[in-house]
Amino acid sequence: MTTSLFFVQLINGLQYGLLLFLIASGLTLVFGVMGILNLAHGSMFMVGAYLAWYFFEHTGSFGISALISAAIALLIGIAMERGLIRHLYRRNHLDQVLLTIGMIFVFNALQSLLWGNDPLGVPVPQALSGAIPLNDVLEYPIYRIFVALLCIAIAFVMYYMINKTRLGMLIRAGESNREMVECLGIDIRRLYTIVFAIGVMLAAIAGVASAPMSSIMPGMGEHVLITCFVVVVIGGMGSIKGAFVAALLVGLVDTFSSVLVPQISSMMIYILMAFILLIKPQGLFSS
Amino acid sequence: MFKTNTLRTAVAASLATLTLSTPVLASDEPVKVGIMLPFSGVYAALGDATRNGLKMALQEKSSELHGRKIEFIEIDTEARPERAPEIASSLLDRSKADFIIGPVHSGVAMGMLKVLRGKDTVMIVPNAGAGPVTGPLCAPNVFRTSFSSWQPSYPMGKVALDKGYKNVVTMSWNYGMGRESLDAFEESFTAGGGKIVKQMLVPFPQTEFQSYLSEIASLKPDAVFVFFAGGGAVKFVKDYDALGLKGKIPLLGSGFLTEGTIEAQGAAAEGVMTTLHYADTLDNELNNRFRTSYKEQFGKPSDLYAVQGYDTGLLIANALNQLKGDISDRDALINTMANTTINSPRGDFTFSKAHNPVQNIYLRTVENGENKVIEIASPMLEDPARGCKL
Amino acid sequence: MLFNKRTERIFIWVFFPLALLLPLFLEQNTFYVSKLTSIMIFALFVMSLDYLVGRCGLITLGHAMFYGLGGYLFWMLAPEYTEVNFWVYTFYVCMIAAAIALVIGFLVLRTSGIYMIMITLAFAQMAFYFFSDSIEFGGNDGLFIYMKPETSIFGLSLFDLDNPIHFYYLCLLSLFNTLVFFKLLIRSRFGRVVDAIHQNPGRTTALGYNIFMFRLMSYVIASALGAYAGYLFTLQYGFVNPSMLAWTTSGSALVMSILGGMGSIYGAILGTFVYEGLHYGLEHLTEHWMLFMGILIIAMVMVFKNGIAGYLEKLLEKRS
Repeated sequence: MTTSLFFVQLINGLQYGLLLFLIASGLTLVFGVMGILNLAHGSMFMVGAYLAWYFFEHTGSFGISALISAAIALLIGIAMERGLIRHLYRRNHLDQVLLTIGMIFVFNALQSLLWGNDPLGVPVPQALSGAIPLNDVLEYPIYRIFVALLCIAIAFVMYYMINKTRLGMLIRAGESNREMVECLGIDIRRLYTIVFAIGVMLAAIAGVASAPMSSIMPGMGEHVLITCFVVVVIGGMGSIKGAFVAALLVGLVDTFSSVLVPQISSMMIYILMAFILLIKPQGLFSS
Repeated sequence: MFKTNTLRTAVAASLATLTLSTPVLASDEPVKVGIMLPFSGVYAALGDATRNGLKMALQEKSSELHGRKIEFIEIDTEARPERAPEIASSLLDRSKADFIIGPVHSGVAMGMLKVLRGKDTVMIVPNAGAGPVTGPLCAPNVFRTSFSSWQPSYPMGKVALDKGYKNVVTMSWNYGMGRESLDAFEESFTAGGGKIVKQMLVPFPQTEFQSYLSEIASLKPDAVFVFFAGGGAVKFVKDYDALGLKGKIPLLGSGFLTEGTIEAQGAAAEGVMTTLHYADTLDNELNNRFRTSYKEQFGKPSDLYAVQGYDTGLLIANALNQLKGDISDRDALINTMANTTINSPRGDFTFSKAHNPVQNIYLRTVENGENKVIEIASPMLEDPARGCKL
Repeated sequence: MLFNKRTERIFIWVFFPLALLLPLFLEQNTFYVSKLTSIMIFALFVMSLDYLVGRCGLITLGHAMFYGLGGYLFWMLAPEYTEVNFWVYTFYVCMIAAAIALVIGFLVLRTSGIYMIMITLAFAQMAFYFFSDSIEFGGNDGLFIYMKPETSIFGLSLFDLDNPIHFYYLCLLSLFNTLVFFKLLIRSRFGRVVDAIHQNPGRTTALGYNIFMFRLMSYVIASALGAYAGYLFTLQYGFVNPSMLAWTTSGSALVMSILGGMGSIYGAILGTFVYEGLHYGLEHLTEHWMLFMGILIIAMVMVFKNGIAGYLEKLLEKRS
């Protein structure tokens, strides 16, 4: 591999990793604070992408479409938590798993009903189209750089929110000792609703952001879900810092393995996860 | 629009009733047509289109069915191969279907073959291109009205050679259809002195292509030949363009790269050259009529899968017509079907000994959002049916 | 008494006689016989998962790996066209699957909770991609097996596997035997230690038991039985496919087990039949069956606190 190709693959891996972080961050946040494993997380990614397409078709502006989609996702999250998830806090984890699997079915059926099954596409917004030439053949699309920067920005916002704000303090407290937080008079139910809604909104934002550079099609949620899980587990459930590091790691391993060891590239992230878990059974940065 | 069809059906139905009321030996039993296609999941759009085309053809030809009514039994395969044997058995044993139409997905086709080969029913494949269907696993009661994976890709080899490309990178998913397509291209391309620089197989159904595309750029081939379909095709073409490869390294593909995907691909698809046994823009009377009626009846434009479904319907209608509605003699039925010429929107085609279409393969390029036919890349191309004992 | 719960006894006295007699009424319609057979085969698989997850507390998302291995191992071991003995190959397949489970279990059982879920998933995914990406093993499209084993013991052949009704009875017999086996296992000393480990691992270790070995043995037993189910599945239509190892297969089994009532073992049979029954009924009614399926699953989780078996038990045990 030439040095220039190496650098290009490095950029590819990091950019993919950053997107994975955006998707995974919501999942790990929800699990860390609420102990809920939301299998419908991938479906929210899909919902974000489809909403982005739908509103783009109707408004012609990607920016407006993105904002509306994020808002709707937030509302869906609130509705999901208050309507369904809330009733299962006292039940065991497996019942929660079953509930969220049921939701996957419902989301998939709704997607088919509302938007049909043809693959859809959204063009890259004008302002962000264009590319930076890397060498005489390859260019790097500005939009991908924008998405990478967006992911980094959101990572910073999350860091700031969790470590420097009152809400973040409540989140951290709720993560370590739920009952105590309740005893302190905090309305833990509202906290949970907010956290869950933010979690699914992050997944939806990731879906919106990746819409112009991917194919919007049935099943895109399940596909991303499993990679998401790998990231969250490698990083350590509940650790956002862990999810960030793990996402970059997974992105790089996936990218480089597809060119270096293509015969087993599909297995590589699982080999990586198994390896890490065997050494550090709780993940890299468990809380 | 709908009224004309209702009127036609009503007239046909009344004629049929009149025929029945006279003491003529027209069977009262409906012809059972089992349909096993994906109606949910990634391939659902293809399943829908195929079914629409099939029903449209049988409706159009309803007056030629000698009074036989058609009863459809539809089951969603979800494109899951492990359900194939069970669904096929259901249609064979429980519904006693005379014809079993399906599938879209090659894996499902393999499962169907296991159950239906040599049984008392006629299996018609309206899409799945898996080689073995009309290859080592061919059977008298198995027909295909679509294509074999070899057919659309083989002619592109010669096209590439004619354009002066000497070094090509091929890429596809690592599964039957993908590998067979790349092998077919390689067969004709290397026969004329071309060289395959590298064959890249992406795990199926992954759609992260960045790393592969970056590698292609570093290899600097004269052209790239790929097989991708559906959502993967959308992403691939968009990524190819976004990375700046499109203007510099010509992109060639098996036709599925730009079938049903151009709208989602947008400007990125312009100039992509493909070979396929059909194109929406084919300018012949049948195709123009077909496209208009389909759009009228279903409210959306037709596509390749609708045509394949339509031709399947034509095949059945033709057989019923020729045999005057009596399909109880399966050998006669199979014989009639095997010797039919289908007047299809894609052009007329016949069947090879292995029951695969012998058809034209067209060279197309994407111009202004549609696949424009440049020429016939290979007239009446017959799949070699390697391994078939028919 | 082997079946101590009233609901359990009711279930067994209703289900098995019904299943025994049904083919007599369905003589004409081998499709229904085959459909019920495939549901029974999967129920066997779900039972083995239920034992692992519900009774041992070892939550795995990779159980389908053994289901698929049951099929692929048979393909690998069996000759292409010569008939082999069903019982002998059952032994081979289960033994090799058990050996593989021993190795994997050794690695996997060091983790717990969510991490065990993920690492079992990891191994299953690796196995999935191994078979899916390899041309030698048929790749994504799967493989055919052109031969059906014969079932003679000392020259006496009871079942003709080509006959769907015989195959149905073989699977019914297997289902019943597996249920009895698990009940015996649970009631045995081994089973009681396993229960103790599930409830309070610390205390059990303090009592001097090597909990790792007990867990490993449970894992091996359940995996071998899961492989047996996969082997039966493959024999039914002579078709093996990587999707047998997919995480969605493990997920479905988990859903059926939870639905039926985790840990009750007989609940697994109940859950599988209810789920598959709903799926079959709904998909023949409407194209958008998934919507109703999802809504029903959600409703059932909200209402049945311990699965259907749990709900029935609460209902019926109250009376006694």
